[in-house]
Amino acid sequence: MSLNRAIAPNSAEIKNFNIIEVQKIPLDSGLDLYYVNAGNEDVVRVDFVFNAGSRNQNQKCLASYTAQMLSEGTKRFSAKQLADGLDYFGAYFSAHSSADDATVTLYCISKHLDSCLPFIVDVLSDSTFPEEELKIIKNNNIQRLLVNEQRNSFLLRRHFYNTLFGGNSAYGSFATQNDIEKIDRIGLVDFYNKNYFGALRFVLVSGRVSDSVISTISKYAKTPHLSNNTVDKSQVFSESIEPQKSFIKKPGSVQSGIRIGRKMFNRTHKDYRELQLLNLVLGGYFGSRLMKKIREESALTYGIYSALESFREDGCWYIETEINHHLRERGLTEIYNEIKKLREIKISENELNTCKNYMLGSFLRSIDGPFSLADRFKTLHDFGFDYNYYYTFVETIKNARPERLQELANLYFSEKDLSEIIVG
Amino acid sequence: MINYSKFKLQNGLTVIHHLDESTKLCVLNVLYNVGSKHENPEKTGFAHLFEHLMFGGSANVTDFDGELQKAGGESNAFTSNDLTNYYLTLPANNIETGFWLESDRMLGLNLDQEKLDIQRSVVIEEYKERYLNQPYGDIWLKVLPLAYKVHPYSWPTIGKELSHIEGATIEDVKEFFGRFYCPNNAILAVSGNISFDDCKRLCEKWFADIPQRQFNPVTILKEPKQLAPRQETVYADVPLDAIVKAYHIPARTDGAFYSLDFISDLLGAGKSSRFFNELVKKQNLFSELDVYISGDVEEGLLVIEGRLTKCVNMLDAEKSILNELERFKLEGVSADELQKVKNKTETNIRFNNMTALSKAMKLSYCELLGNIELANTEAEDYLAVSAEDIALSATTLLIENNCSTLYYYSKQK
Repeated sequence: MSLNRAIAPNSAEIKNFNIIEVQKIPLDSGLDLYYVNAGNEDVVRVDFVFNAGSRNQNQKCLASYTAQMLSEGTKRFSAKQLADGLDYFGAYFSAHSSADDATVTLYCISKHLDSCLPFIVDVLSDSTFPEEELKIIKNNNIQRLLVNEQRNSFLLRRHFYNTLFGGNSAYGSFATQNDIEKIDRIGLVDFYNKNYFGALRFVLVSGRVSDSVISTISKYAKTPHLSNNTVDKSQVFSESIEPQKSFIKKPGSVQSGIRIGRKMFNRTHKDYRELQLLNLVLGGYFGSRLMKKIREESALTYGIYSALESFREDGCWYIETEINHHLRERGLTEIYNEIKKLREIKISENELNTCKNYMLGSFLRSIDGPFSLADRFKTLHDFGFDYNYYYTFVETIKNARPERLQELANLYFSEKDLSEIIVG
Repeated sequence: MINYSKFKLQNGLTVIHHLDESTKLCVLNVLYNVGSKHENPEKTGFAHLFEHLMFGGSANVTDFDGELQKAGGESNAFTSNDLTNYYLTLPANNIETGFWLESDRMLGLNLDQEKLDIQRSVVIEEYKERYLNQPYGDIWLKVLPLAYKVHPYSWPTIGKELSHIEGATIEDVKEFFGRFYCPNNAILAVSGNISFDDCKRLCEKWFADIPQRQFNPVTILKEPKQLAPRQETVYADVPLDAIVKAYHIPARTDGAFYSLDFISDLLGAGKSSRFFNELVKKQNLFSELDVYISGDVEEGLLVIEGRLTKCVNMLDAEKSILNELERFKLEGVSADELQKVKNKTETNIRFNNMTALSKAMKLSYCELLGNIELANTEAEDYLAVSAEDIALSATTLLIENNCSTLYYYSKQK
């Protein structure tokens, strides 16, 4: 029988969402050690998570510079010795802060874990923040900032978060040259003492986690400094600001960057999961309405997308693109029109079905492999959920109805609530 | 260790199978042996433009992505100097949809003027977004023609100039498809939770009846040995001066490639590297300084790319790089340094082997290089590199007669 290529092969319902769950071992120090054992390679990733995000700082940049400076010298090792030591074992080290927390991560081959951890423990308990290293990092970052300020995408982000959350809030603040210059060693040491020293929230290990990996980590995590004994601090996360439109002129730019969006609730809200689906319809995947309209039909851009961002205390939703600057007005009209269509016209069963399947497939990809599984767990932990959150997510997506999505579009995608930033 | 099996269909399509039972996904990776180096120098950017057109529907499928998304899948592609690589990921039980879609667009594309017009404009916006509207975005457009006088690596994948993309006609793209997109010019890797038997059955079912095509291989001119230093100076609207130094290096399959890869790491990768400690931190001449290799199949480049600290003189900065290179040649590499880059490479290889997709890509690429076993033996090749190999590569290749230098000055001062 010859093959009929015009007929698509049957495709099955997307299921099989049995997630490999993270396990918990309480350590003597009172600290929780979490681990997920998956994958075929003898590698591990160890995340040390601290309450040391910009929400914990009382001066701009403290959180990010403390994270950046952690490995720039300890009482025992210089920056070069730390880098040499970790690099020698082929390990990768990273430390970065977000608005909500800070994560120090070690990636290495399992057999080198025992050799690498002493460096990490040192960094987390005895970092010295040398003046000389700080000066270089500040200088280089100021120069990097100058370059970033030439990028549409950077300017868009900065103005967007400023506009939504306020320039002095945890979620809206961006470093200026002046903020960077004001950072000094004393401030960093103080931030470190308050937010790292004895302030570890938890340790999360992913990869091929054998018994020996667990016992190695437990051995070091027993060090008295690495225990959890702090209370979360709080400050202003976001200010109450009216939606605004702003235009930032950038001479010579051959494209206009556009970000349109608003503050939105975070993951803890009952409508969040359905809103994720609605966002997907509009701009959350390659086949989205915005991609189809603005790229595949009108060819105004290389790419356009929309996204929901969930912080611990707040959230936002936005659309972003870089568009042919001669046709900017047309692009804006088309974008607002697509949002309007979501409010006014019910999505077809066919399109909804595609979006549901894509979203479930995408979820399946997001739980593939040990590191993805660790990331999914981190999200649960941040918001105080258990794994039911994901199983409910799957059910919510499967059961979503067109009427409900239209209702959500009317509730949350009103034009009057949207801020608009244009650069270029 | 990546286990695999390989077989060839009657029409010349090479198939690689890799079973990974730890995933619920399955991946199809189709590598076509066509990249920007196969283009006509007067019509550059075609391989990449064509990649865009491959998503516009095929003989029996109107909406490639729509059908894939309906089955829970996702796809993308990239084009390089050497190849065009398409990949899709699906829940393993829906992988047949992938076979249907990939085979249909290998069989025949739905090319029309309107689709071409749209994708031409999309690529032009991509060109602007990545190359013209980014600070330092055009560096590559300047360095390549300086380093390559004859070989087609002299133009970037996106195209030599916008006018080449603007001028692409429907006849051009049809000719391009007919010439390069056939089973005997492709490698299919099937990776993930799928048995060999299912893989074989589905390959036979969907790909076997696609006709083989005769095509004349493109003759690629060899780049003559560079005999004297080359320099170019440009002024651009950027905040800081930059410098790029590009040295010719051997092909990917040449034994010396591994030592050059190590050299780029020793000089410029991470906070333990020589350049970072000496030139960024100690002398503070650069705010950023990277060293990397271009990673091409044929003779490529080792590139040193730096942004100068404000007020540092360009020639002083260059001199500091040259001094460090001399010191490197003179001192050689220490046992610890060599062990370090070997350990790093082992880490990179292991972390890269973690997903069905990355394994599929690696197997396909090694097959294109002519030795699929390389996917498993390259770790040993790296381990075999000696301090003498590194010294030899450094002294023979990291010399000014083999170098193209771009002085990229800020107009904003």
